Amino acid sequence: MTQRILPEIFTDLEPYAGWALTKEAERSRKRQQSTIEEIRAFYTTMLPRMEAVLTHLNQFPLDAMPEKEQRLFDMTLALAEVAPAVELFGKPSEDDVFDVARFVPEHE
Amino acid sequence: MLPRLWKIGSGFIANTKRSTKTCTPMSADFNQRWHASYPELGTDPVPIEPLISPAYFALERDRIFRRVWLQVGRIEQLPEGGSYFVKDIPICQTSIVVVRGKDGQVRAFHNVCSHRSNKLLWGRRGSCQVMTCKFHGWSYGLDGKLSFVPDEENFFHFDKGRHGLTPVATEIWNGFIFIHLNPHPQETLREYLAEVADGLTGYPFAQLSTTRFSWRIDLRANWKIAQDAFQESYHLPFMHKQSLPDSYTSPKNPFCHYFGVKLWTHHRRSSSYGNPDHCPSPLEIVAQRFGSSVVNRTFAMEDLPPGVNPERRREWALDTFMVFPNFNIFVLNGTYLTHQFWPIAPDRTLWEVSTYFPAAQTAGQRFSQEYGKVLLRDVLLEDASTLEATQSVLASGAKTHYVLQEQEILVRHAHKVVEDWVGFYRERENRQ
Ligand code: FES
Ligand SMILES: [Fe+2]
Repeated sequence: MTQRILPEIFTDLEPYAGWALTKEAERSRKRQQSTIEEIRAFYTTMLPRMEAVLTHLNQFPLDAMPEKEQRLFDMTLALAEVAPAVELFGKPSEDDVFDVARFVPEHE
Repeated sequence: MLPRLWKIGSGFIANTKRSTKTCTPMSADFNQRWHASYPELGTDPVPIEPLISPAYFALERDRIFRRVWLQVGRIEQLPEGGSYFVKDIPICQTSIVVVRGKDGQVRAFHNVCSHRSNKLLWGRRGSCQVMTCKFHGWSYGLDGKLSFVPDEENFFHFDKGRHGLTPVATEIWNGFIFIHLNPHPQETLREYLAEVADGLTGYPFAQLSTTRFSWRIDLRANWKIAQDAFQESYHLPFMHKQSLPDSYTSPKNPFCHYFGVKLWTHHRRSSSYGNPDHCPSPLEIVAQRFGSSVVNRTFAMEDLPPGVNPERRREWALDTFMVFPNFNIFVLNGTYLTHQFWPIAPDRTLWEVSTYFPAAQTAGQRFSQEYGKVLLRDVLLEDASTLEATQSVLASGAKTHYVLQEQEILVRHAHKVVEDWVGFYRERENRQ
């Protein structure tokens, strides 16, 4: 058995742990560099689990989560990042749209 | 414009049905004639020259930006004594350091060393007990007084007390820090803000400002072109057809008409419709369930001060308060956002956008904020691309004017106010 990287009850999400990125700029870069099929696979796997994921994460202090919970939490932020691609655009970003890298975040 | 159908296959999504709420009856129509209330604005086409002319830009610097109160940041950015941030104001060729003293007082200084005028602080923000110049090591206290000069005895008739930093007039309103480049402003900040301050009295800025997400965009467009995109909603059903399919439009209000517009001497306000039958996306439903964010309108209007949504419309989404010259506050129910447009050159602007929330207590609340923040950013990406595209052809000479319709009255007012201060056309007429 390999080392678990997500909380026990969410190990089914581990194939998508590559989305556990801590900064908005990293998450948006991964969205832009992924195909819509890759993004959709992440989205459709995560979405039905979100109720359980957030209910679980809500038990932990936001600024001091255990390592596995923090990783899972970062995946929920990445899900928020890719939501417009799946729900609105049907592609990582719209054609001819402004380069998101030029929206320089002042936050994490 | 009908809400999109959610076709993505999963059990969770299949449970998502379009809201079955009955439509809210409209309390008034959406075809008010705003221009009729402001005949002094006229209805003529508006000249393009102020958007491309270096001469006009120079006048904006001398006659507007050097003579008004300018918002530079929020007090939450200065949490403790020694916290500082640096605000460059390129159109005025200066940089300002805003610092909280050990006494808690917020002060601003020109970010210029008294020795040989090096830029004092080079970072964007930080915390320090003394401000030290990199060039020859002169040090200043948080109150701007010169505290240490290396090899001081080699200066001539030298009195440290006469070489402090140059102070900048500073006042705070509702946690927003404003500066004025005239050391002795003609009017107080409260007098300057006038109807904006009246309208926003009682809005809970302090509670809503503990978390701030901000982006900076170096935009290849005139600052007025950029700002104009946020003072008309005519573009929403077209430019934002993908990102905002049904939030601010509905079959009853397909062109996103305002239901409130108020134009003051320098500032202006609008009230926008929100579609009560908006069909939330699957993840938006999760975001709404676990927290509040820009996507979560509660319509609890009794919680809002009377100056916000003064028309008290149930289908209210947001008010915009446009503070002359370059600061916009978008007030929603449970959150607000700000835009600021700093002119750099006639065709270049630093655009700063921030969205503010109460501090998240749980992972679910933080997720909800992230959902709202990403959606906002993706909407703004659509705006940004058209702003640069517009600027790229403005100087072609193909057009000398542009035409504005009823719902673009805030744009018309904005250009008139700028010209009132600048007087470019007034002086040209006088010469003729
Ligand atoms: S210019 Fe600042 S110490 Fe010399
Ligand atoms: Fe827009």
